[in-house]
Amino acid sequence: MSNPAPQPPDEGALPDGSDSASYPRKVLFVAGAGRSGTSTMAGLMRILGLHVPQPEVDADETNPKGFGEPRWVVDHHDRLLKEALVQVSDARPEAWFETGRVSTREPERIKTAAWLEGHFDVNQELVVKDPRLSWFLGLWRVAAIRTGATPVFATMLRPPAEVVGSKQTYYANKLGSAHLVASWLNMLLHTERATRESAPGDGQSGGGRVFVRYSDLLDDWVKTTMHTAETLQLQHVLHCDSEQIRDGHRFVDPGLRRMQQTLADLELPTRLHDLTAATWEELNKLADPGGDTPAVHTALDELREAYVDLYEESAAISRSSVVAAEQRTKRQAKGAPPPAEERRGVDRIPHGVRAAVPPSVRRGLRKAAGRERPEDQ
Amino acid sequence: MTVSGTGIQNLEGETDYDIVWPWTRPGGLRAGTTAVLRVKDEAPSLPFVLPPLLRACDHVLVVDNGSTDGTPEVTAATAEKAGLAHKLTQTSYPFSVARAGAEHLAVHERSVHSLAYFYNWCFAQVGTRYSWKWDGDMVLTTEGEVSIADLGWQVASGVPGVQSIIRVPRHGLYLESDRKGYLDLGLRNAEEWGFPIGPDFVFTKAFEWEIRTTPEPVRSIGLPHGLCVELKYLHGDEFAHWTDPESFATSYRNKRKRREWTVFNALKNGEVLPGVHEIEAPDGVHIVDHVTREWLPRAPRPLQVGLD
Repeated sequence: MSNPAPQPPDEGALPDGSDSASYPRKVLFVAGAGRSGTSTMAGLMRILGLHVPQPEVDADETNPKGFGEPRWVVDHHDRLLKEALVQVSDARPEAWFETGRVSTREPERIKTAAWLEGHFDVNQELVVKDPRLSWFLGLWRVAAIRTGATPVFATMLRPPAEVVGSKQTYYANKLGSAHLVASWLNMLLHTERATRESAPGDGQSGGGRVFVRYSDLLDDWVKTTMHTAETLQLQHVLHCDSEQIRDGHRFVDPGLRRMQQTLADLELPTRLHDLTAATWEELNKLADPGGDTPAVHTALDELREAYVDLYEESAAISRSSVVAAEQRTKRQAKGAPPPAEERRGVDRIPHGVRAAVPPSVRRGLRKAAGRERPEDQ
Repeated sequence: MTVSGTGIQNLEGETDYDIVWPWTRPGGLRAGTTAVLRVKDEAPSLPFVLPPLLRACDHVLVVDNGSTDGTPEVTAATAEKAGLAHKLTQTSYPFSVARAGAEHLAVHERSVHSLAYFYNWCFAQVGTRYSWKWDGDMVLTTEGEVSIADLGWQVASGVPGVQSIIRVPRHGLYLESDRKGYLDLGLRNAEEWGFPIGPDFVFTKAFEWEIRTTPEPVRSIGLPHGLCVELKYLHGDEFAHWTDPESFATSYRNKRKRREWTVFNALKNGEVLPGVHEIEAPDGVHIVDHVTREWLPRAPRPLQVGLD
């Protein structure tokens, strides 16, 4: 009888003597707002031995080194967000309740756990990342428990002014800074709350969480990822070999941090500005060694309450806009055309198509149609 | 019961135990969840019940009602051992409370002896916006703990429009010894445990027991099966809080209690009924820990519950 042919090493192969199959099951969930370095963190973890469940979303010009996002997870979250009527960037505090409600459904828990289970055949330590992930942290925590894995969380922190600037640049987001900053606040304040069960101390049961500044990761990824691995007990990272570390250095590009505007540059409403600045200050404390403390949690609780109040007041003030939008939707649902005077030719062209027309050409078209704007002249 | 004013004065004139609605107090309610346990002689169960509950909630309020088995001391020691004593408040309610069934039916809801009054008094001690009505023998599984914790902060955020009731199925776990138990998955049953604190959600009288009022419409969320067990001691008197077994002999409302009666008596006679799982814990592991941390969390989903 001949010996079986040697097999190529698994992804994240370990130095001789280490047995990765004996590692306890663990899932690292990389959370935080989009454009905060979540792809860099997930990519590094993959290089250092954790497994990104395949297939994953293809790289594109917005993220040339890849997203590190499992395709199934993205599709799963997209569907659940649609069912919950929640947007990826959603500033409404009640959106957390809506996604939490969907997360209690047994069929969704079964699907999520079954998907996760299949990937432990490849590697005992997985990394799951998606900008939509924060909305469903509870669902994933349950899936990890059902598969006998420990869920751990890494939340990326990047100054909100940079996140907003990056989003506006890469996603052509024209919704305005205030909306984007409010969505960032809603996302980060509640992500912190949603992962608090995994915080160290206080008799909590969780497996661990870390907060990582994007700037720290780019500045010294070796130190930052080792802190993450030690805190979360990520065995592959703790035991990775020198070639993996070389790959890490090839992967991390300090030039990734292209946006460096400040909060003042956004010219936000005063209360929103102050809340955002205070929240950023408190979140930063969580990223310091030993900084994940009850005192910071209390401060963040107060900020979350203040944000809920601000949002509710703003929603109450702008109620007329909502009513008008509802009426427009009802009219469209009935198939009635809007009044003729509102239907300029340009309105029949989808916004995305209009936005794709170069400004100089748009100016020419407006001139030809006799609709010149002051800035065209 | 229609809520107006700042509270309820009881019929007996026990002014120290008049009810003051917490939302009328200066400062109002704060964000967060409180589990409220009304207990009587639950010392054996509380070391299993309290730790996951303390972790999952912002606060736990234990109201003792005449225990003689050291329940308050066990409660304090358990919270201390879990490192969560700062989340615990203990108090006591000195009046005898009518047992479920015929005795309850005969008592006015504004009497200090009424279940409805007792519950209203207990929940009036709550300072958070959301509450869990909990029993001193209900133990969360690992999944139950994280589910309650997540939903807790979501529903207790104080955001208008998310006021919801949460239903949680529970399964009887009949304990024969520290190592062996019987888990009853033969009945599909989920009761409403999670409620906002506010004038729309107070207790009033129902036929066999109290009931919590709800506004119309109200949102309701049902959690999956397999998140909580209710401890039953095969060597104890599990039906002492009922007037007599005849009280739950007929009504559909009492199907859970009838099932418990049937399973309990069958097990006492050495018979394991369909839907009941005989479970033995590994060496060195208590049966309650084994069922809540391993057996139920790892059981195939959807959990097979009910007799089809």
